[in-house]
Formats: sequence, structure tokens, C-alpha cells
Amino acid sequence: MTIALIQALLSGLAVGSAYALVSLGFSVTFTTTKTLNFSHGEFVSAGAFIGMSVLFLAVGKPLTSTSFGGVDPGALAQLSGLAAALAVMGLIGWLLFVLGVRPFARRPGMAWVMSTLGFGVILQSVGLAIWGPKPVVVPSPVGDDILHFFGLGVRPQELLMLSVSVVVMLVFDFVMQRTLIGNALRAVAQNPSVASLMGIPVTKMMIGAFMVSSALAGLSGFMLAPIAQASLFMGLAVGLKGFSAAMVGGLNNPRGCVIGGFLLGVLESFVNLWSAQWREVAIFGLVILVLAFKPNGLFGTKMVEKV
Amino acid sequence: MKALKHLFGVAVVSLALCFVAGALNNDYYLRIGFMMCVYYLCAAGMNVLVGFAGQKSLGQAGLFAAGAYSVALLTSMTSINPWLALLLSAVVAGVCGVLIALPSLRVKGPYLAMVTLAFGIVVEKIVTEWTDVFGGAQGIFGIRPLTWNDVPLTSQQWVWVGIAFAAVAHLLIRNLSMSRIGRAMLSLQADEIASASVGVRVYRAKVMAFVVAAVTCGIAGALVAQQNQYINSDFINFHLSIFILLLVLFGGMGNIYGPLVGAVALTLIDSALSSWPSIQHFVYGALLLFALYVMPAGVTGAIVQIWHRAKSKGRATNQSTAVSTESNITFPSCGTGELLKVEDLCKAFGGVKTAQRVSFRLQRGHVHALIGPNGAGKSTMINMLTGILRPDSGNIQFSGKSTVGLPVHVICSLGMGRTFQNLRLFGELSVLSNVMLGRHSRMRNGFLSSLFGLPSAHRQEHIARDRALSLLEMVGLAHLAHMPAGSLAYGLQRRVELARALATDPQLLLLDEPAAGLNPQETDELGDLLVKIARKGITILMVEHHMDMVMRVSDHVIVLDYGVKIAEGTPQQVQDNPAVIAAYLGTDEPVAIAA
Repeated sequence: MTIALIQALLSGLAVGSAYALVSLGFSVTFTTTKTLNFSHGEFVSAGAFIGMSVLFLAVGKPLTSTSFGGVDPGALAQLSGLAAALAVMGLIGWLLFVLGVRPFARRPGMAWVMSTLGFGVILQSVGLAIWGPKPVVVPSPVGDDILHFFGLGVRPQELLMLSVSVVVMLVFDFVMQRTLIGNALRAVAQNPSVASLMGIPVTKMMIGAFMVSSALAGLSGFMLAPIAQASLFMGLAVGLKGFSAAMVGGLNNPRGCVIGGFLLGVLESFVNLWSAQWREVAIFGLVILVLAFKPNGLFGTKMVEKV
Repeated sequence: MKALKHLFGVAVVSLALCFVAGALNNDYYLRIGFMMCVYYLCAAGMNVLVGFAGQKSLGQAGLFAAGAYSVALLTSMTSINPWLALLLSAVVAGVCGVLIALPSLRVKGPYLAMVTLAFGIVVEKIVTEWTDVFGGAQGIFGIRPLTWNDVPLTSQQWVWVGIAFAAVAHLLIRNLSMSRIGRAMLSLQADEIASASVGVRVYRAKVMAFVVAAVTCGIAGALVAQQNQYINSDFINFHLSIFILLLVLFGGMGNIYGPLVGAVALTLIDSALSSWPSIQHFVYGALLLFALYVMPAGVTGAIVQIWHRAKSKGRATNQSTAVSTESNITFPSCGTGELLKVEDLCKAFGGVKTAQRVSFRLQRGHVHALIGPNGAGKSTMINMLTGILRPDSGNIQFSGKSTVGLPVHVICSLGMGRTFQNLRLFGELSVLSNVMLGRHSRMRNGFLSSLFGLPSAHRQEHIARDRALSLLEMVGLAHLAHMPAGSLAYGLQRRVELARALATDPQLLLLDEPAAGLNPQETDELGDLLVKIARKGITILMVEHHMDMVMRVSDHVIVLDYGVKIAEGTPQQVQDNPAVIAAYLGTDEPVAIAA
């Protein structure tokens, strides 16, 4: 029983780290631009497929293949896959800001919700045209043999994902809190017009925020693919849970978002022990509960509107 | 008369369409016609939610599913009449609409959009994975279709039924949109705080909008299930939610004919591309991204814009007009004596104390002024009185009743009208609609009487309109009644806001810097107008910086500084008070504060 619980805790933390990355991505763009990427989930899938295409090329298969056929691409290929996923997703993030966010951000009625959704639908249909709807089994960089210790069985990819995510989040937190760039980003979040008067290039900061946010989505997609299989539809659920994590933790508090991500991952994993069907319901139940008592999330600060 | 003409027009068009459908013998075309009606139903309700109330829902597929699966379960498991099942499924969908509206009590904007998205996904998961009840991808067979004389409908009859539903939905939603309820929805899209301050029950209006969208979507789902006699989880997906939203956005949200254009155009695109699903999705994505770019208000919006541009060439814009000197408009009388009693009111934002044990009393029929340097806590005081802010402690007695903790709209209906420091008009609505919104809490036509356009509702609208027009006459804006309020010059917008506040039949009128941004002549006119309003028995409390006007029109002045009341009395007393002089001009030596 205890073993099962610890095992659930571990895999919950691993999946939770993916949620935390996504949730951090929401938080970054929301604090700097007051907009969100509603197709963040599609970006997670896109990250997985971009990494996967590099791996296909590395093993000498065409980009449009749908199976590795048991060939292991090797560490170098995995690293370049990761680099490609981050870089291309960063670029797509920039594209999203230019095409889908900037023209609509000041318009009333949240037109940007629609435009970012549209961007995601386009991204997904491009993916469908290339790879089709079938999921692809992606080999893990650390092998797919289950590790056994103290009677626990853990997939090495889960441990890898957990540690990479934790490192990324620590670096992110350091950059936000201790560096000039982080200060500038937080200044833009507080008040863009004053920030621009202080000589901070606000638009560049916003572009940067979208690039970072999309790269984080790409990272979580790339790390999730070996665990959950790469699928163009995998992102929707991850994106949604990432957002739920942000709501639970507080969208305007990056640390809160990370905590929310882990919390949701672990909750999901525990509920899964008991019944797989009620996973989603439990998560959204928690979100509604949190919103009912703390509308700004557990760690969020209240945004006041001046009357 | 106009209503009858419209009814007649809709009937003629519907009959003509039915005739065309009757002449068609091709099942494929009939199917397209039926789907147009179904999507029109979804879009028409969605338009109320998105276009009028301004709430984004990304989970309409969930409501579609609620209708479809209710009718499926009802007709396949029981022997209920299929028409009755259709009706019941609409009710089920409406209840789900209330469910999806619940979070809107707590969250707004992008949060709400994401919550509705989650609702759609949860429903999708439930119907896919709870196979014992909903059959999952296997689906539910044996759904009994609608019948006529115990015979299932033919393809042509299905289209007729679809057209009939669409026509009825159009007529009802048109009634609603032109009524008090429709105006309230439009107002909360523009500015929820202003909308609550004129007496609109913001949350209830939102729920109504969600329910309307849910019911039409549920009926659409049920019709599809009954026509196919089969439903499975593949019908319910995120793309359906997006498609329903796109119908409205593409057609033109907020326009009563937008959904029609959207439904016809997108159903045609949909069926033209149905053999290439990935291109289909690509096109939807591109439409979402770029249609908004080119036509922010959709196809109908673009047409209306071109039309207006052609029409408004060489038309004179609003010239300023003087306030009419005499007006015989009357307000409910409210006697004499004490109207408002504020006791030991405290409020702090973090370490900033904007009100520290402030107490004062307002007399009926008097003009009171609340003055003080910037940051003295004047606007905070107004916001606490009207219920927008909740005081940390202390008591507010308004005509003998404590108002602390009451919602904003209730305080408004008790008789407190207000204007805002930074103007909160509903800019896109006409001047007349703005003032009629002020009548909202005094009108008696509810949701149902508005929906069905009952004579009682028409009468109420008529009375409110007359009242609004005479108020506009009083502030000298009657000739601009049909201009969008946002297009008026600043000084005139201030007068519209004043008229809107007066329309709520206030006993106490709270004015937050009514003369800000006005030139000296306009300020003088405003002063005269305020005196005139006070003579009609309305008590006024104004926050103002124009000292000459304050001293000229007020009977009683209260001075705040750093959240503390430092003086009160007649204008002369206040002007002579050393503490007031110190607060405004500063002194070399600290002055003992006379509390």
C-alpha cells in the first residue's frame, strides 16, 4: 500500500512538473501582456513533434514517418532534438505574438482569445496533414527499462523530466528575482507605460515573454512524449491542466503556478489509484473549489480595478 | 406596428424557404439545409451570450451534448413522446447552462473562458469514457425521431421543423435583445461596475445569457440526435465548440442577423470541405485568426460599417447646447430630515488609511460637497456609500436602513444614483439607451415577458423611453438621443451620465467630480443644473475641486484630508477654518486638527 502511494507520488510529481512548466508559461505571458495563449496545449504537442522529427532525421528516416521501429536515436540526437524543440517553439511563440496577440491585445472583447485559438487550430491541422492523427511511440533518452529500487518501479524518463523541470524552474526563478532582465519583466508586468518611460523596451520584453512561454511548452511536450506517446491531441489536456494549475496557484505568481502544477499532478496520480475516470473531474472540482474561496488562487494577489 | 411588420417578414421568408425545401428532392441538399437551421439555433443563442452579454464560452459542445444525450436516453429507454423528450432535453440543457454560469460569479474574462473550455472537455470525457450510460464511441442507437401523426418525419419535414425552430428563436431573441434585459446584457459587456451602479443585477443577467445559449444549443443537439436516430461521442469535441463560436464571430456578434450569415456561410464551407477534414480545420483556424483582423465585427459588421459611411457623409456632428432653463419633470418626493448617516467609517488599503472613523450626516434636499486635497479619500467614500467598496468597519444608514454589505444594484434601487470620476458610460450604446438603462431597476418587465414581447413589456419600455427622453431634455441633449454616447464631446458625456443617474429616481445623487474637464462656462451651467435638481427634492453629495462652484451651490461642505474629516459646516465656516487652509495651502507650524 505504502509502496503504491510512494509510486503514485513520484509519477504524480513527474507529470506535475510538466503541468508546472505549462502553467509557468501561462503566467509569464499573462503577467507581461495580460494575455494568454489559448492554444498553449497545441504548443505542447508541437514541441513533442518537432523534437520527434529531429529524432527521425537522426535515425535516417523521413520526417513524416510514424514509427521508430525500435531504433534508438542516441544521446546526441536527443540533445539536438531538445534544442530544436526549444528554438522552433521560441520562434513560433514570436510568430504568435506578432500575428495573433499584438494586433488584438488592445481591442475590447478579448479578441486575442479567438486569435490565439485560431493559431493553435492552424498549428494542429498542419501537424495532422504531416503525421496524421495516430500517436507515435518515442524512445526515451535514458532508456525505457523500468528502474527498480526499494521495491519501487520508476521509469527513468519520469525522473529525468522531474529533474530537468526543477532545474529549469530554479533558473527561471533566479532570473526573475535576481537579474536585470527579470526586474525589467516584472516592471513591464506592473505597468508597461511606466516601464517604457524608464527605457525598458516593452515590446521586446513581451516578445521575449511569448518566446519563453512557448519554449517552456515545447520543453514539456518534448519530455512528455516518451512517457505518454507523442500525439497531436496530447496537448489539449496538458494545456488545460497547466491552466488549472495556474488558477489554483495564482496566475500572477510564478512560484504559485509551479506549486499548483505539482499539486495537480500528485492529486491526479492519487485519484488514478482509485479510479481513472474521475481524474479530470477531481482536478476541475479542485479548481472550482479554490476559485470559490480564493478567486485569485492560493498564492495570487488580488488585482484591484480603480473606480 | 413595426413588430407586426417584422413578424410578417419573418413568416414570409420562412414560408418561402419551406417551399424551396419542399421542391428539393436531393437528400444531400436537404441535409445541408437542416444543418444550417441547427447551426443557426446554436449561433442565435450564442450571440446573446457573446455578442450581447460579452461572455466568451468555449464549451458549447458540452451543452450540445446535454441536449443530444438527454433526448437519446429519454427516447431509447422510455416510451415518452419524442416531442416531449425534445422539450425536456431543452430543459436539461438550460440547467447545464446555469451550471456553466456558476463560475462567472467568481471569475471573469480569460479565466471564465478557460473554465467553460474545461466544462466542454469534461463533458466530452464523460460521454466518451462513461460507456455504461453514454455508450462512448459505440454510441446510442434507437433514438426515436420526431413524428407527425405517428409517422417519423421525412427529410423535407425535418428541414421544415428546423426552419420553424429557427424562425421562433429569431423572433424571441429579437424581442429579448430589444428589451430591458437585452439592454442590461449589453451594458454589462461594456462596463460591469457602471452596470451594477444603475441597478442591473449583473450576475443574474449573465446567468440568463448562459441559459439562453444553453437552451438553443441543447435543442440543436437534440434535433441532430433525433434526426440521425444515433449519437456517439465523436459528435462532441472541442472543434464543435470552436465552430459554434466561429459562427457568431464570423457572422458578426451583437448583430441580430450575424448568426444567420454565419450559419449559412460556414455550413456551406463546411460541406464543401467535408472530404478534407484537415483543410477544414485549417480554414477554421485561419478564419478565427484573420477574419477578426479584417472584419472585427464580422460580415454583418463590415456591411453595416460601409452602409453607415455612405450615409453619414456631410452630416453635422453634435453641437453643444445649453441646458434647458425650465423643465417640469418631477421625482418621487422624499420629505425632509436626515437622509444619510455615516458613522465611524474606516477603510485601509494595506498601510494607506483612506478613511479613519469618518462620520457625517446628509439632510434631505440639501446640496452637500465633499472636498479635500488629492488622496484625501473622497472617491473611496463615494465607493463605500454605493457599495462598490466594503468598509473595514463603521456603519452607513441610508433612510434608516443599513447598507453596509448590500450589493451595488440593491443600493441603487434603494435610491442612490451616482456618476463616476472618469466617466463610465456605455460608449457604444446610444445616449437614449444609456439613460434608459438608468430606468432598469424601476422597470417591471422580467425575462419571460420580454422574451415573448408581451404588451406589458411594451408598455414598460414605452414609459421608460418617455421618461428618459424628458430627462435628456432637461439636460439639453434630447436632439442627440440616438448618437452613440461615446461619440459625444466630453462635457456632453458628463451630462449623459448625470441624466443616467437621475433616471434611477435617486433620493441621493452622488457626483464624483462632475465638473472635471469642463470649461468655466460649462461649469457654471452645471452649477445651475445642480441647483435645479436640488430644488426638485433630490439630495446631492458631490466631490469637487472647483471651489467657486462648490461655494456657490452647496449648503454644507465636508472636508477630508488623509482619510480624516478635518472640518464641516457652511461654505463660509469651512473657508475660514484654519485646518482647511493648512490642508490646502500648507503652514509652517502644525495646526491642531479640529475633529
